[in-house]
Amino acid sequence: MKQTKSTIKILKPVSGTWLSMVSLMIFLCSCTRFEANAEDLRKIVNLSGDWRFSIGDDIAWSNPSFDDSGWDKLDVPGTWEGQGYDDYNGYAWYRKTFTINNLPANTPVYLLLGRIDDADVIYLNGRKIAQDGKLPPEFKTAYDIERKFHIPLEYFNKDGDNVIAVRVYDSYQDGGIVDGPVGLYYDTDDEFLSLNFNGFWKFHTGDDKAWRLPEVDEKDWTSLFVPSTWESQGYDDYDGYAWYRYKFSLPQNLSSGDLYLSLGKIDDIDYVYLNGEKIGDVYDLKNHRYFFTNNSFISINSDWEYNARRVYKIPADKLKRPGENIIAVRVYDEHGLGGIYQGPVGIMTSEDNQRYQNKHRHSTGSNFWDFIMSRFFNYDNN
Amino acid sequence: MKRTINKNLARILGTISLFLILSHTAKCNYPNPEDLHLLKNLNGNWHFSIGLNNDWIQPKFDDSKWETIEVPGPWEDQGFNGYNGYAFYRKNIDIPLSWKDRDLYLNMGYIDDVDEVYLNGHKIGSTGSFPPNYSTAYDAERIYYIPVEYINFDGSNLIAVKVYDSYESGGIVSGDIGLYSGKTAIGLDINLQSLWKFQPGDDMRRKEIQFDDENWAEIFVPAKWEDQGFRDYDGYAWYRKTFNCQLPENEKLVLVLGKIDDIDQVFINGVVVGSTGNFPSNGSDDASTGAEFNAFRGYYIPDGVIKKGQNIIAVRILDTGGSGGIYEGPVGLITQGKYIEYWRNIKKAKN
Repeated sequence: MKQTKSTIKILKPVSGTWLSMVSLMIFLCSCTRFEANAEDLRKIVNLSGDWRFSIGDDIAWSNPSFDDSGWDKLDVPGTWEGQGYDDYNGYAWYRKTFTINNLPANTPVYLLLGRIDDADVIYLNGRKIAQDGKLPPEFKTAYDIERKFHIPLEYFNKDGDNVIAVRVYDSYQDGGIVDGPVGLYYDTDDEFLSLNFNGFWKFHTGDDKAWRLPEVDEKDWTSLFVPSTWESQGYDDYDGYAWYRYKFSLPQNLSSGDLYLSLGKIDDIDYVYLNGEKIGDVYDLKNHRYFFTNNSFISINSDWEYNARRVYKIPADKLKRPGENIIAVRVYDEHGLGGIYQGPVGIMTSEDNQRYQNKHRHSTGSNFWDFIMSRFFNYDNN
Repeated sequence: MKRTINKNLARILGTISLFLILSHTAKCNYPNPEDLHLLKNLNGNWHFSIGLNNDWIQPKFDDSKWETIEVPGPWEDQGFNGYNGYAFYRKNIDIPLSWKDRDLYLNMGYIDDVDEVYLNGHKIGSTGSFPPNYSTAYDAERIYYIPVEYINFDGSNLIAVKVYDSYESGGIVSGDIGLYSGKTAIGLDINLQSLWKFQPGDDMRRKEIQFDDENWAEIFVPAKWEDQGFRDYDGYAWYRKTFNCQLPENEKLVLVLGKIDDIDQVFINGVVVGSTGNFPSNGSDDASTGAEFNAFRGYYIPDGVIKKGQNIIAVRILDTGGSGGIYEGPVGLITQGKYIEYWRNIKKAKN
């Protein structure tokens, strides 16, 4: 399925003159803006290029030992329609064999597969690692979600071949692994973390103020990978409130000094609690992130929250040193994708926070172009 | 994340969709004439009689006393000037056994105004609508798939064409009449291009095996329903077809339904096996993106759904405007292995 997606939405043109002036500015600066706000991911293994491909459907094709040497070859990313399979709709499988010898030691690794049209199930070395959209009979497209999955390091075979197998179902029009980055990546912003909270957090949809408290029965909470949208983890189309909880203890080397909690980017609004007490929300960030915030003209109808980088100073008196600390994050997602969807997520020292802020200063909304962009347009940052 | 489609853009897309809907109504026959190649030319002398008698569709009827008439050409030019109403054309043809593995089509050209075509007494196609619900289809080329079970290989086969002409020119007036084979034959294991049961309206009980479709209309698949007595009908409709499967039970099968206008949901033995497009939940018919009608349908059938012996396919369709129905083939069942091969060959032919 393919629909033309507009990346720019005109909210309310103030006047024709304003609009044309602003449009010109947008053309001049939108490209760099677009890049600057993307995640700073670095490639470990390039997976674009030739993949083995077959239309059809057989679960045996997820098996790493399956012999796909008789299969066709297709260029990834790219629609299969553009590569000889015009008009084909339905199931198809992609397979790619690769080796990996430069795995980072403690940094989460992400598999990026760009956009897959329409729905897919992804296997690494025979193990199902992700599913986006829904396969028939309860078909549901996920063609506009960029696939990004955290892969636990132990899933990789460090000494030999690894096989990714992707089962794709396309309903109609464009099909396949159609565009976007394809490879294994890590997030360079994770280097600013002294304590990395990437991983599985406890998760519950709905809203209950009591969930901020340290003593909550988490029996009926599920596990959700952070950072990643909840839509990519089974909560298709969920909008509204949801809570995340995560427990940590500080190591010896962090027993003194100011510490900051980084929660990356959250879609849309977050309220953050440590050991039962509120330490911040996204609106605390607004003043020093938006150059023109105090201008009443620009405070209406804004859509900046999902794109703001969350870093909250941790009040020393609320932190247990030593002992177990509990973070609870109440998230409200207005519509579209939701959740703690982009890193870095973890603890930063004052110094690393400063380095992190400096690195992203020009991409977090504190300049005139961002003011223009954020006031008059909504835009994709992916 | 905010991903909102500009309303203006949506409006433009809507206009484009409308344009697509309007522009594709003209094209509906499968395969397109250029994809067919001629096996036997049937231009020339046919037996002909004006009048209406249902015995005349039967092979055993003796038409040796009938007039002969040149096909194609209006009967007004051949001694029947001024005649309007019913008439029959008949012709015997031999079909060799060596054509058994081909998909055979009978092209009857352009018929003015309405026709029904029989092979060996079996209806294989109909276009337009006879009185009392008369509607002409004088501008449609008649290309009918011949179900293999109706063919008498290495023997004589009787083609009978029932025609109704309202006024002015009448009969098989033009075209390249003949027996053709389809060039892009997919090699169906079970060919379902034949008469199906058909009923307008919507009722989910129609998917069930035991649903009684005895009193439903019969129409041809593939062909748009507008040419088969349901002119100007838009909205919901269901197709049902019983078929016999003798393929091994563990064989992976794909149900090929060609192209459907616009949205469909398909059941085999009451189990949903595929769908294209989204049915509206609020009962409105404003559901099509304008692209579904052009999507080629091949639904992978879950294991265990198809039984050895009798099976029932039920197809629920919503046509949001213009022509409607399962309008372009191939239609039938194929093993997954052959289906994969078919698509690889298409790709190879392109390179």
